[in-house]
Amino acid sequence: MGQFIQYLINGLISGSILALIAIGIVAVFKSTKVVNFAHGHLIMFGAYFYFTFAVMLPEAAFMPSWVAKWEPQWLLDYRGDAMMFSKEAAIATWVSNLPRILLGLVGALAANAVLALLIERLVMRPLLGQSIFAMILSTVGLIWVLEGAAGLIWTAEAEQVPTLGPNFPIRFELFGTNLFLFSASLVNFVIALLLFAGLMLVLRYTRSGIAIRATAEDQSTAYGMGINVPRVFSTAWLIASMTGAIAGAILASRTGLSPAMGLFGLSVLAVVLMGGLDSFLGVLIASMLIGVLEAMAQWKLGGSVAEIVPYVAVLVVILIRPHGFLGQKEIERI
Amino acid sequence: MLTVKDAELSFGGIKALDQVSFEARSGEITAIIGPNGAGKTSLFNIISGFYRPQRGQILFDNTDITRMRADKRANLGIARTFQNLALFRGMTVLDNIKLGGHIRLRSGFWTSGWFYGSAQREELALRAQIERDVIDFLELDHIRNAPVAILPYGLQKRVELGRALAMQPNVLLLDEPVAGMNREETEDMARFILDIQERWGTTILLVEHDMGMVMDLANQVVVLNFGRQIASGSADSVQHNPAVIEAYLGTKATQEASLQAS
Amino acid sequence: MITGNYKTRYQDDESIWNNWAKRWGFALSIVFLVVFPFVADNYMLLLAGQIAIFIIAVAGLNVLVGYTGLMSLGHGAFFAIGAYTAVAIHHEWPGTFPLITLVVSILVAAAFGVLFGLPALRVKGLYLAVATLSANFIVLFFIREHWFEEWTGGVRGTETPNAVFFGVELVSQQAKYFMIAPIMVIMLLFAQNLFRTRFGRALIAIRDKDYSAEIMGISLYSYKLKSFAISAGYCGAAGCLWAYFFPAILPEDFGLNMSITLLVCLVAGGMGRTLGPIFGTMLILLVPEMLKVIVSMVTDGDAMAQRYFSPMRDIVFGLMIIGFLIFEPMGLVNIWDRFWRFLSRWPFAK
Repeated sequence: MGQFIQYLINGLISGSILALIAIGIVAVFKSTKVVNFAHGHLIMFGAYFYFTFAVMLPEAAFMPSWVAKWEPQWLLDYRGDAMMFSKEAAIATWVSNLPRILLGLVGALAANAVLALLIERLVMRPLLGQSIFAMILSTVGLIWVLEGAAGLIWTAEAEQVPTLGPNFPIRFELFGTNLFLFSASLVNFVIALLLFAGLMLVLRYTRSGIAIRATAEDQSTAYGMGINVPRVFSTAWLIASMTGAIAGAILASRTGLSPAMGLFGLSVLAVVLMGGLDSFLGVLIASMLIGVLEAMAQWKLGGSVAEIVPYVAVLVVILIRPHGFLGQKEIERI
Repeated sequence: MLTVKDAELSFGGIKALDQVSFEARSGEITAIIGPNGAGKTSLFNIISGFYRPQRGQILFDNTDITRMRADKRANLGIARTFQNLALFRGMTVLDNIKLGGHIRLRSGFWTSGWFYGSAQREELALRAQIERDVIDFLELDHIRNAPVAILPYGLQKRVELGRALAMQPNVLLLDEPVAGMNREETEDMARFILDIQERWGTTILLVEHDMGMVMDLANQVVVLNFGRQIASGSADSVQHNPAVIEAYLGTKATQEASLQAS
Repeated sequence: MITGNYKTRYQDDESIWNNWAKRWGFALSIVFLVVFPFVADNYMLLLAGQIAIFIIAVAGLNVLVGYTGLMSLGHGAFFAIGAYTAVAIHHEWPGTFPLITLVVSILVAAAFGVLFGLPALRVKGLYLAVATLSANFIVLFFIREHWFEEWTGGVRGTETPNAVFFGVELVSQQAKYFMIAPIMVIMLLFAQNLFRTRFGRALIAIRDKDYSAEIMGISLYSYKLKSFAISAGYCGAAGCLWAYFFPAILPEDFGLNMSITLLVCLVAGGMGRTLGPIFGTMLILLVPEMLKVIVSMVTDGDAMAQRYFSPMRDIVFGLMIIGFLIFEPMGLVNIWDRFWRFLSRWPFAK
């Protein structure tokens, strides 16, 4: 039982990250009807940008030293009192890392936004109105371009990147068993869910959110109603790239950096289809479910089985409910 | 030939068809008319097997085909054209029409792949038959090798008719064959329909908004409104049926019509 | 110049080579295929064998994607199944006659094709793409795991047998080429025949308008599954030949990269056309070779520069997909067609 709850918690945490990644795919699909197979690679770029701005740049010679390590007197005092590996020490490390974490996040967000706008302008827009097949394939083509580009740009061995939140172990007791998680994971969990909820609210209640939803329903009618459809497309890609940048930063701090990270995006795509492409709620449910299932598979069957869990799950779901848990069924008119 | 008995079809709460019953008699032209959204195309869709009616039966030569799969109905000789063109746009006119022969050919995967022998004989026989019965008949010879996508609308409609004709159907369902056509094209199409009836004795069901054409061609007219069958009978009797006038022109018109009658 | 149409029999009009240009083109290609191994060196033969095998697989993918209009991102799996089936057969019965191995590989792959095709009965487009992608990952997972290690060699891969015809082992590239090339020609002709007769027409009809095809009496269920089976069978054949052609295989060879490469070859060549797979595969497999030459010319064989080769190849591949989709969605065949149209009308019109 104790083990079970432990893995349940792990699963929910990784599920929240899946959801954060998934939101980018859903946002782009909802407004542009393009399913982005390369979203994982956008995230990989986010992660590398975070690495660049949070690790490489602060260590550069021209940067003031406080960026890499911020050590005001009061912090040193605070740390001096703390025990090694204690909660206080972890917080002190985090605070001294804070400048570069912020620099990393801002840099990653900005750089990824530029990248997404470039992709939208140069690749997606010329293909507007083409078949689904062409859209899918062009994002598949992007996979290779992005993977190759990452291989060319970031040749250095990837190092550890700072976590977004202070990282200390939390131990607590539930139903008579000792449980354990890292505070950084908890911070990631909260960030992911807040972003998810925030975006859902934005889409539901703001003007631009409604513009996005209108475009999703019918592009040409939305155009006729005076909605700037190309701007909606750019907005959607911006949302995707920026949530992707944060997800990338989180992933990089959790599992490290590698050009193979992008493939992770494909499993998220499976999750998205499971939940239903156009339903945020469905995607959230699916993400949590897959997160938990993966954790359970990890526990009982080992890591290599956990890797294919989303793919098996999506196959089963597609066979039973072709449009996912909460996806809208398209009715074909004859 | 084809009988629809008490057919009922609903989508969610909306009744698309409600107690529709009629018989399309062998060799005759039965027209189905009604205002937009009356359920005419839905009726065609249950006859050709895209939708299953929740209640009622569809009988073809007295066999119940209500639950039969759409592709099996083709084997019985039910052919159809669509309101919005449903041609195979990547193919030439000839290939489109050849597909009408699909059910009559026998060659499978291996014989098709090998080609020489039975598949070749079959294909050539089909070609000869199509040239004679469809392409010459519908005057499509000048465009037989053109991709259908580049043809004007009227010709595409004619190709679709040709494709249905290549099935050598017993029952032919025509969903608005002259919608959007000019007078000349309409007259051509009407002539083709009459020729088909005369030459092969095909039973024809026709959905059409062009009242002139309906009244000229149809042996029997069925009128639908909001899914309900409000009248059926000869063209003349339907024309003077108050329910029909009401459906098309509103209640005021009915009163006037009854005033005139009295 | 090809002018009017002077045929007097339907048979002439319905034949594959219905004009002299096509007849001569075919004859010349056969002559080229026969002469090539005697003039080419080993490296060129290696490339040629690889291209021929890929052409078979891409032709198979063409059946599904190009002609039936069903999406697949998982055809690497069928390739893998074909290859590993060949290995397994030789592991159990060493010295099996290669054509028997080939047929069995095709059948096994086709059976898996039917299995993978099941989602196609319910979903189209994107959903099918992801379903097949998933299937690809799952197949590779089973190949990598220890349960079938005896035949697959697990993660470490396995050595593959050579084909033995009546006591003659095909060891040299040249000998292998003479096994692969005829099989390729036969399989291409088979596909070409398929799509000018009843069976193939039905598949194209499903691609163009599925409900209309149903009205014509075409059973969507059975034809979609058959299409999956055929295309998987072609890939299985390619896999089997791959196993004979290369000394060893690894599970990674058949992953997502392979599946996408097949698709890229098809898109670059032109979907739903017989010549498409041939043109596309030659282009896509030869571009990295040209790139290699260019890189080594620019850098004078600098070892550091070699590092950049693989990412650069990826970028070029990706850009080629996107470029074709944007500028020439019908593929190289379309350019080819335009060229011939231009020639046949030459002095009069463009």
